[in-house]
Parts: sequence; C-alpha cells; structure tokens
Amino acid sequence: MKPSNGSMINQRLAALSLAVVLLLAACGGNNPPATSETTAPAADEFSGLNLVVPARYDPPIEMSSVITVDATVKFLGENDIHNNVWTRAYEQLLGIQVSYDWVVDVSMYDQKLGLSVNSGDIPDMFRVTPSQLLLYQEAGLLANLTAVYEAEASAITRDVLTQDPVALKAATIDGKLWGIPLTDASVANASVLWIRQDWMDELGIAAPTSMDDVLEISRRFTEEDPDGDGVDDTIGLCASKSLYGAIANVQGFFNGYHAYPGIWFERDGQVVYGSVQPEMRTALLALQEMYASGQLDPEFGVKDVNAINETIAQGKCGMEFGVWWNPYHPLNLSQQNDPTAFWSAFAIPSVDSTPAKSQYTTAIGSFLVIRNGYEHPEALIRMVNFWTDNLVGSQDEAVRSTFLGNIEAPDVVLYKYTPVLLWEPNAAIKAGNALREALARHDPSGLDLEAQWRYRIIQAYYEQGILEAWVEVATNGPNGSSAILMQVLEDRGLMNRFYGPPTPTMAGKMPTLQSMEEETIIKVIMGESIDLFDQFASDWYKLGGTDIVDEVNQWAANNP
Amino acid sequence: MKKKIEKQPLLRKTHLPLYLLGAAMALYGLVSALVWSISSSQAMRGLITAGQLRTRLANFESTGGLITGIVFFILFIWCAVNAKGGVRAAFIVGMLASFAPILAGRAETLLFDTLGLRLPAGSVIAGALSTIVFTLPMMIFFIILASSRRVPRGCRWLAFASIFIVLATAFFPIYVTVLAFLLKPGDPAVGRMLEVSSQVIKLRYLLPGLSLLFLAYISMRFLKEQLSAEAQNIPQEGGPK
Repeated sequence: MKPSNGSMINQRLAALSLAVVLLLAACGGNNPPATSETTAPAADEFSGLNLVVPARYDPPIEMSSVITVDATVKFLGENDIHNNVWTRAYEQLLGIQVSYDWVVDVSMYDQKLGLSVNSGDIPDMFRVTPSQLLLYQEAGLLANLTAVYEAEASAITRDVLTQDPVALKAATIDGKLWGIPLTDASVANASVLWIRQDWMDELGIAAPTSMDDVLEISRRFTEEDPDGDGVDDTIGLCASKSLYGAIANVQGFFNGYHAYPGIWFERDGQVVYGSVQPEMRTALLALQEMYASGQLDPEFGVKDVNAINETIAQGKCGMEFGVWWNPYHPLNLSQQNDPTAFWSAFAIPSVDSTPAKSQYTTAIGSFLVIRNGYEHPEALIRMVNFWTDNLVGSQDEAVRSTFLGNIEAPDVVLYKYTPVLLWEPNAAIKAGNALREALARHDPSGLDLEAQWRYRIIQAYYEQGILEAWVEVATNGPNGSSAILMQVLEDRGLMNRFYGPPTPTMAGKMPTLQSMEEETIIKVIMGESIDLFDQFASDWYKLGGTDIVDEVNQWAANNP
Repeated sequence: MKKKIEKQPLLRKTHLPLYLLGAAMALYGLVSALVWSISSSQAMRGLITAGQLRTRLANFESTGGLITGIVFFILFIWCAVNAKGGVRAAFIVGMLASFAPILAGRAETLLFDTLGLRLPAGSVIAGALSTIVFTLPMMIFFIILASSRRVPRGCRWLAFASIFIVLATAFFPIYVTVLAFLLKPGDPAVGRMLEVSSQVIKLRYLLPGLSLLFLAYISMRFLKEQLSAEAQNIPQEGGPK
C-alpha cells in the first residue's frame, strides 16, 4: 500500500539522515592521534633500502670516537648511543665499528675533549672548534686529510663542501686539509626585512624600495594606528639590545646604509672591521632619530629577544630585521592576538642607488678530525660520503625515514646519534626554488614528501584562505624569504672575510672591545651624542684594534 | 490505518523563485570558485602578492557576499510565501543560510575585533562559523523536505542526497584543516586530503544551488503531471485512489 510505503521511506530517510549527521560529526571530532610503534631493529634493517654505500672494510676496522647528547636525544626500544641505526650502519654497511669513549652533554664537550687530549687519550675521530683545530694541528695531533679527501670524497660530498666558499678553506692550514668542516647554511644568517603586510595593506603602503621608504613606513606604523585599536601603542621597528642576533637585529638596518657592524670586509685592499667605519655614523643617526620619535621601543636598551617576542606576540611591532626563518619563530606569535597578521620579507633596501648587501658569517663552527697515527683516515671520508650520498644527494623517503626519523615518532631524531652531520649550505634556497617552481606550474610531483607537505600548506592558504598557513607562504611561497637568500648569495650579500680562529690579540681583547661597541651603539641610539661613536672608533684602535687589524690582514694574506 | 496524504509540488503558483534561488546559489558558488581559483593561481605564480590576493578576496567577499546574501534572503522569502506547511517551514529555516555569504568576509572582524575573542587557528574558526551558518539551515531545510510526506518522491530523494552534499562540502574541508594543522601536521596522507579539500570547498554553494534547481525542476514536472492527470482524471502518486 502506498501510504505505508511512504511512511517506511519517511522513517528510513529520517534514520539515515540522523546516522549520517552523527557519523560526520564523529569524523570531525576527536580522532585519536596515530600511535608510534616501538620496534626492535630487524637483523636486515638495511636490506631493501636504496643506499649508496662506499667500499666496505673487510674485515671491519675499529674507530673510537666521542659524542655529545642532550635532553632532546631520545631512543626507541633497545637502542642507545652505542647501539643504534647509525652505529649498526657504519658497522654492517661500511665495515667501521664505531665505539664512543665517552658521551657528554654538549655543554661539557670542549672541556672533556681538552682533558682527554691532555691526558693522551685521543679518540680516533672527533669534533673540534676552529681554535682547537689550529691548536691540535700545531701540536701534531691531527692527521693530514688532503690525500684521502682527494682520493675518497664523492661528488656530492665535494659539492656540499664547496657550496660554502670558505668551508674547506677554514679547515686548511698551510695548504693542507686537516679536518672536514661540518657545514650548515651560512647564508641563512643574512638579514632580511620583515614588515607587517596586513598593516601595509591597511594603510595603503607600497613595498619599500629605499631606506627612506623604510623610515617612512616606520613613521606611519607608529603614528597612524595600523592595528586600528584606537590606542597609540604600535612600534615602527623592533630592535633587541642583542643588536646582531637572528631576531630583531640592527645589523640589517646598518646594511641598508652600507655599514657592516661586527664583521670584517675588504676595502681598498685592506681587511677592515665594520663597526668602526664611517658609514656607521649615518645609520646610527637615523636610528637615534627613530628612537627619539617613538618609532623604536622606549625600552630598546634593555629588551632581550624574549621581550621582543612578547612585543611581537602582542601585535605591537611593525617591522624587524631578522633572518629568513623568522616566520616560524617568533613572527608566528603575532597571530595569537590577530589572526589576520601576515609578515612579508623584503631584501634590505639601500640608502642610495647602490644596492644594499646583507652581511653574514660562515656557519662553519666545527670540524671532524682524525688522530694523527690512526691507520684508516679515509674511514672518515667514507662516513661523510655515506651521509651526503644518501641523505643530501637523495630524497629517498625510506632512507630518510631510516636514518633521520619519521613522522610516527617525531621526537626521536635519529641523526643525533652520529657526529657526522653535514647540512647542505644551500638547502633552504634549493628547497624554496623547487617549491616555487611547483607552485607556478600547479604540480607538486617531483617534490619530496616534506616539500609536498609545504606545497599543500601554501595551497591551503591561497585556495582555502587558511591564514595560519602564512608562515610557509612568507618563507617558501612566491616572493618568500628563501628567494631573497638566493639574491644574497648572488650579489646582495657580504660574507665575513675573517673565518679563522681568533688571532692572539683578538682572543684577549675582542670581548672587551665588543662590549664597548654594543654599549656605544645602544647609548647613541638612545640619545647620546654621535661624538660618543667617534670616540669609540678612536678608542677601539687604541685598545688593541690596531693589532687585531694587523693580525687579521696577515691572516687574510695567508688565506686568500 | 494511516491517513492518506496527497503529495503536492514544493511551490503552489510558480516555481520561478526556487529556480532563481537555485540559480543564484549556483552562480555565487561558481563565481566565488572562479574568483578564488584565478586569484590564487595568480598568487601561486607570483603575479600578485599574498597581500593583494587577500585584499581582492576580501573585497569580493564583503561586496559580493552582501549582495548575494540579500538576494538569497529575498528569494527564500518569495519561496516561503509560495509554499505551505512543512515546505514553507523549510524555506523559512533555509532563509537563515542567507547570512552566510554576508558573514564570510566579516567573520574574522566579528569574532576577533567586535567580540574580542582570542583563539588559536582564528581563520579556521572564522571560516567554520560562516560555513555552519550556511550548512546548518540548509541541512535542516533538506531534512525537512526529505522527511515530508507531502513532497513528491523525487524531490524527497534529491533532498536526501543533498543532505550528504551539504555536509560533505561543508565539513570535509574543516575536518582536513583540523587534521593538517592540529592533529597530524606533516602527514603525507593528510597533505593529499588538503588538495582534495581545496577542490571540495569550491563546491560549497554550487552543489546545493544545483540541488535547488533540480528540486524546482522535479517539483514543476510533478505539478504538470498532476494537472495533466487531473485533466484526465487519473489517480496520481499519493493521491486519492
């Protein structure tokens, strides 16, 4: 009968509707996060991996070393620092049985190494600072790696070590290679200018093309209430008392005036110290004026990076000079109080028609060395090759997951189990370029998994309006900060010319001179006469600067 | 014994308002999807900056959304006037969905400036708010139609299917966003879902609009068949035997 059929349909529809609503509500609710499994390493844990493996020692050789750990080093299952994926790989794949004589917290490393070396208990392979490299080389404790590097280094290892132009130079003494530099992204510490894009849009401000524009933007951000809260509480430019850090520094501002504080660069055939050059005066006067008109934080002289982070989180800061990754921290904090907050990166504008250069310093801070007398110095090069060939030159996800870590256990960072860590200096630039190309052609294929994830996040920002994704847009999106690094690398950067260990006078007097320098800069910005800077420059030379300049120039002559 | 209920078309005199409502909704969905697609494509290629993209979309959503909301509102009222019983109630509830396009460009201002809320994932919450303002009334609208025995069978089945459509297009993107940004950041599987979600979100107004157009078509056909049957005195579905 039709009426009863209709009634049944009605009941079914209602029941189904309810079921669907409940089901979808459940989907949108609390799905438990995936749990990570703790599994014991399989006997054939490397079989099936697409690895590039250097020649294996047969029978295996022994290599003693030392390593640091900290609170972030965690292990799965039966693994520990002496028995983990890296020690097993070295042994099973390379035939190198690595044993650690001691394991200390990173803060204790230099002291412990000094004690070991002094007591004659020198590991076969260990990490040293530039000063230790020089010291131990002069003491004849280190093996000359020139020949083994030439014979054994893979193409990718050579590429990684030459991307930073001073990496190998820094490990070379008297024309011989004494260590393998642990590379990182040097250019990543070059400054870029970060500006609140949403404030610029609100006030109808165009992108800055000169330092005058920067000053004007700063003035308008300070005076025109860009956050629209009706309170005079915004600061044009955030700066930290640390002056030269990665966050809210002032060296980026100085660079706009062709001044390069804290680094050494060549001028008229001589290497000079940037902080005492005349260009500093103009920039200091500009900052002094900004401070006087309230465009800098009144508490600038006492504000450390933590305090700056708070200012940014409160949405009071309009501009800062920082590094390319600042959106990940601390600029992301600005969305805490304003979901529409968005920062854009700009190459440092110039005060005149000559393009400004962003200063940076090499990231080479340590080297891997081999004890003089160790029978297999080439083993270090093979370990380096294993890293670079498989983890820098390849994007194989299974390999990366095995040796670096995976999403199932994000707090277990496997690469911390080995001292052989060489990061590709231009990785951020390459990754950013690949991502931008993929975005331009709307096709993420060809990107590795991590880059594909970034692609989706950027896509979500553009196509779905998810503003929280701005961090990826600002760094790796079109016109993102990693694109500026490319310019810095090409012709918009100035690398610190001095990359050696501290010279004798430098070691003794530079800390005092640096304190004097920072104190002077802060005082002048906060209103003291510019004569104070002139006095500082004069005193700097008198209090040891002249000797340091001589020593640095002598070093430069030996390290062209 | 259950009472026999005579089926009736959704609207009595004319189906024009329902056609217009469906067309307006579909058109807004289409235009909205096009504006987002073209603008985001330009931004992804670096032809416009992220700031320019946001300004353009904000202008579209505030102006286009206001006009669309008013049009929806008027058409829902027109439909309600032409309907009766449960169907009228459905249109009255559906009318609340008119506020969604108006809210789309203003949700963040409303939540965070006017109400002064401080929440993590603000844009997701603001987006979810305007989505719910559209989805909830539309879902109730379709549920009422699907469960109303006076509504022609074809319309009921279509309304039933539309419940799924509205739910899926509304909540799938929100679900994926929560997964991607809060629960499983970095998960490649969620990354692929994000891409699907980017496409699904474009259907949010388009598909319900098309549903309304089909509802109007089925209902009108029913009306014609009913009139024709009455003229020939043939008993109709749900009608007196």
